[in-house]
Amino acid sequence: MMDSSVKIINEWDIVAARQLGRNVAKELGFGTVDQARITTAISELARNIYLYAGQGEIMIEKVESGTKKGMTIISRDEGPGIPDLRKVMEDGFSTSGGLGAGLPGVKRLMDEFSIESTPGKGTFIQSVKWLR
Amino acid sequence: MNFRDRMLDEYKEILKTYIHDQTEQALYMSQKFSRKSIEYKISPEEMISLHKTSIMDLEPDLPESLLLSLDILLEVMMSYGLAYREHQSLRTIQRELINEIEVAASMQQTLLGTQIPRISSLDIGAISVPAKQMSGDYYHFVSHENGAISVAIADIIGKGIPAALCMSMIKYSMDSMPDDSQNPGDVLERLNRVVEQNVDPTMFITMFSGLYHPDNHTFYYSSAGHEPGFFYHAETGTFEELQAKGLLLGVDKKAKYNEYERKVEVGDVILLMSDGVTECRTEEGFLEVDTLIAYIKKYIHLSAQDIADKVYKELEYLQDFQLRDDFTLIILKRTA
Amino acid sequence: MNISIDVKELDQQTTMTLAGEIDAYTAPQLRETAFPYTEKKQASVVIDLSGVTYMDSTGLGVFVGLFKSLNANDGTLKLVGLSDRLKRLFDITGLADIMNINSEAEGGV
Repeated sequence: MMDSSVKIINEWDIVAARQLGRNVAKELGFGTVDQARITTAISELARNIYLYAGQGEIMIEKVESGTKKGMTIISRDEGPGIPDLRKVMEDGFSTSGGLGAGLPGVKRLMDEFSIESTPGKGTFIQSVKWLR
Repeated sequence: MNFRDRMLDEYKEILKTYIHDQTEQALYMSQKFSRKSIEYKISPEEMISLHKTSIMDLEPDLPESLLLSLDILLEVMMSYGLAYREHQSLRTIQRELINEIEVAASMQQTLLGTQIPRISSLDIGAISVPAKQMSGDYYHFVSHENGAISVAIADIIGKGIPAALCMSMIKYSMDSMPDDSQNPGDVLERLNRVVEQNVDPTMFITMFSGLYHPDNHTFYYSSAGHEPGFFYHAETGTFEELQAKGLLLGVDKKAKYNEYERKVEVGDVILLMSDGVTECRTEEGFLEVDTLIAYIKKYIHLSAQDIADKVYKELEYLQDFQLRDDFTLIILKRTA
Repeated sequence: MNISIDVKELDQQTTMTLAGEIDAYTAPQLRETAFPYTEKKQASVVIDLSGVTYMDSTGLGVFVGLFKSLNANDGTLKLVGLSDRLKRLFDITGLADIMNINSEAEGGV
């Protein structure tokens, strides 16, 4: 089910993606701390698209699994891709240059995280936050 | 009551006390609270949220603007929270690495262990103390079938783990040397080729290689850029440097190593060392050769192992127990 | 402890003046600064060590590395201003026989 998505082309689109994420999070009943976590994760993903891929898309979906409810954030771009996934998922790799929380940060903020990347083709990241 | 509610109650109580009468007691309680919240991994953003909930409960008439300002504070604290969690995970990784290095260091001790040979006419002692966990110094003894004893002392330039790996290679090439190639010069030429071919070009080794023949009581030796040892003449009570010229291992694959020899009389002592001994630095500057010799002389009447141990103790004391370089000292004393 | 590295380039010749201590902590800095100058074709590098108060075997390793790199690029390395203690280090290691080493500072007597 496709709820909504935001195309990331310039820096202001990051704000739009955050806004969309926050609205959905509020609607689902996430508390303020979790709302902040979800939007921070969206920010990081959108910023990565803006900085490294040039353009891409953030998609927000509500999910249900049994009695659990939550939301999925999908980040998709057709940028240069990540040649060494293990490296970018390492703590201290992206933060050392002041680049923010990086992908390990996103992984920490969310409950589930998966990444696929093909050099030359692009990157697909899917992460889920469950309502407690 | 769940954990979060308990923490909330506790925090609210501290806040209430402080708002009421601003005591140092309340501030101290909040310090204790922060320690506990760190222990239970409560993140900075959760703390702000806890604070907001508490204050809204205690002071329902607070201005809206103040409450809104806390939203900004919470957002700003997100990155601090992430940095904090990253720091925690890096600390775990660091602890794992330290453990691994400890395991490697003890493995190095086992791998590089060498048996001090026992022969009737020669008393042998050795001490080797690393400055850090992994030593860059190495010594090795071999007892040959004809009764001769080979001794080698080496210093890998470059310290730590790379040096330790390099040392294992040296050890295995020495172990695999045939028993008939005992001459110190040959040993060095052979090792020089191994090092030149296999080791990183910025890594070099100094080595002193010696051979003691109990049949004619002669000590044969060669040096590849190693710190010269000392020779003690028992008859005159004097010391002499064991001069030997030769290039570091690993610089030039065609390097040749001259062999020197010295007749050893009863009571004479051969002292071999790493530059951690001679480059020992004290408060007043470098250890002078005369000072070092004075220490050795003080204990020269003791057994070989005792000389090595006592000289080390003296130098350790001189350096305030802070070794700057690996320290290795080998003593060969002719007793009969 | 620290090291200061002052580099002057004139035509093909690079003169480096070092002061301080060369040990396991400062050696990487020296290697990184000096190495690029040794990789040019036929470079001539002169290093003045008269301000060096301490050098251990790690420091020695750096000079051997520079020497090898210059040799590989048909360049030359000259070390000047060595104290007695440093001179002894180069003598013992056999490096004095293959490297150009001078106790006098460049331009000295």
